[in-house]
Amino acid sequence: MNNTSLSKQPLPKIVKPINKKNISYKSLKMLFVYAFALLYSFPIIYMILTAFKSEYEVSPPSLIFKPTLETFREIFLNASIWSALSNSVIIVSASAGLALLLGVPAAYALVFAKFKKATTSNSLYLWFITTIILPPVAVIIPITSAFKAVGLLGSHSGLILVYTGFHIPLVIWMVYSYFAELPKELIEAAELDGASKISVFIKIMLPLCKTGIISAGLLVTIFIWNEFFIALNLAGNSAITLPVYMSRFGSQMGLFYAKLAASSTLVIVPVLVLGFLSQKSLVKGLSMGAVKG
Amino acid sequence: MVNKGVVSKDKTKLLLLPGIIVVVVTTQIPFLMTIIYSFLNYNLIRPDLGVSFAGLKNFSRILTDSEFYSVIVNTFYLTGVSLLLCTIVGIAVALLLDGEIPGINFVRTLILAPFFVMTTVTGMIWKTLILDGTFGWSGHISNVLGVNLPDFFSQYPLTSIMLLIVWQWAPFFVLVILAGLQNIPEEIIESSKIDGASWFSTVVKIKIPMLTMHIQVAVMLGLIFIIKEFGLIHTTTAGGPGVLSNNLTYYVFKVVSLGSDVGRGAAIAVVTVILSVTVITLLFNAIQKQKDGQKL
Repeated sequence: MNNTSLSKQPLPKIVKPINKKNISYKSLKMLFVYAFALLYSFPIIYMILTAFKSEYEVSPPSLIFKPTLETFREIFLNASIWSALSNSVIIVSASAGLALLLGVPAAYALVFAKFKKATTSNSLYLWFITTIILPPVAVIIPITSAFKAVGLLGSHSGLILVYTGFHIPLVIWMVYSYFAELPKELIEAAELDGASKISVFIKIMLPLCKTGIISAGLLVTIFIWNEFFIALNLAGNSAITLPVYMSRFGSQMGLFYAKLAASSTLVIVPVLVLGFLSQKSLVKGLSMGAVKG
Repeated sequence: MVNKGVVSKDKTKLLLLPGIIVVVVTTQIPFLMTIIYSFLNYNLIRPDLGVSFAGLKNFSRILTDSEFYSVIVNTFYLTGVSLLLCTIVGIAVALLLDGEIPGINFVRTLILAPFFVMTTVTGMIWKTLILDGTFGWSGHISNVLGVNLPDFFSQYPLTSIMLLIVWQWAPFFVLVILAGLQNIPEEIIESSKIDGASWFSTVVKIKIPMLTMHIQVAVMLGLIFIIKEFGLIHTTTAGGPGVLSNNLTYYVFKVVSLGSDVGRGAAIAVVTVILSVTVITLLFNAIQKQKDGQKL
């Protein structure tokens, strides 16, 4: 039963006879689905609308107003959001890049390297996976004091190091099953043709797992972009990232709701775009890893 | 390099090394340090006392503290109930979205959006624009309809946070379960219809059993992330009033960052890890057992 739900077989569609009752039921259902979707995402929609209000139009809440770009203009003139934005961009791209750079070859080696004991690769894989369930509270206290001692607190490189370490296992989990699906004969054939191990990996295996690697990269990017707990403890003021910036919004800027909405909109747009691009491969990558583990 | 046969085999293995080193340095070693800290007297605002061996003092202190148990209960409530609700909402909405609906991509996009929004924005927006008694929609609705909606975050802090968790995570469940639904061969559904099965019995007897694996995956991944929720709590109630809306992660943060008691915070962190890993492992084993049962 499990196998049938996993396999994707294109099946011939059965053409149903159309009748009027069916159509009105369908359009009713459609309306309901649209209404539900709008209601569910209403907080986000309203947030985006509020971003185009001026501060005095925020209360009482309404959906009808004269849109203005004034609030966005004020936000853009504020240096602190720019520095949080640039910190976030630097930290996220560096740590997602490093997590891929270290995680993808590791996953490849877990699948294809030959160990003395056959069980070694499996237990190493399990070790990586169990670190995914380690909550950050388990490590944050010593990391904070170690960073304080060596001057990494409030630095980009400190956060990049921790984020890389925490997301390598996630990359391995998502990419592993893609490598495991590749036939081993591919390597042997390429090596018979005189290709080196490294060029087999880079020129043949990597392109075949492109989808898995890209979706792992997108997911890790989204997670790090949104990560709050580690950043709150390690970023200080000099490496403040967007989630920390947003959490301090009320206390630093005063409660200006339109500004809050405009900043929020600015901050979530990149991940919304990435998220929608990756939604399908994201499910596949995550659940394939889960099936393996 | 000359000696291709044996050496090159080792080279593939070497690809693991950098990854292992970074993961060990950032997770394993600090966790060992946390365990060591949990046996120390170590308070940041009392440097005059120095750091000394405390034995089991930190653990006996937290384990005899009723506050700690209420935080544990909060954590299980937040995690357990939100996972249950996520599963129910996930199945219901996935069933709703399965089938031919024009503009389904747009609908899915809307429903999925909350999953990608960072928790600090989610917390701030719900607290100010939606559930605020003066400026938000809940206050406005109270005024217009003349009903008295509660002040959610101060009257029902834990439940309000739980609902935000569901709002954020149910879309992920929808996504995973929908993928499962669309993998069910259409012939099976058609043949059950031909046999005269009602919509309800098709869902309960055929669709949901075939979705078991996808539901398990969603619950498992949801558990891993929801059990350590932090941002929503920090931005909406800051754990308050008192420790009423603390979960374990937030409690550690409070004890260390606000109370500066490193030893006690580390001890709580250790207990948190033990509890989280136990719960996750139990669920994982239950899933495995059920899988093995199905195979036999």
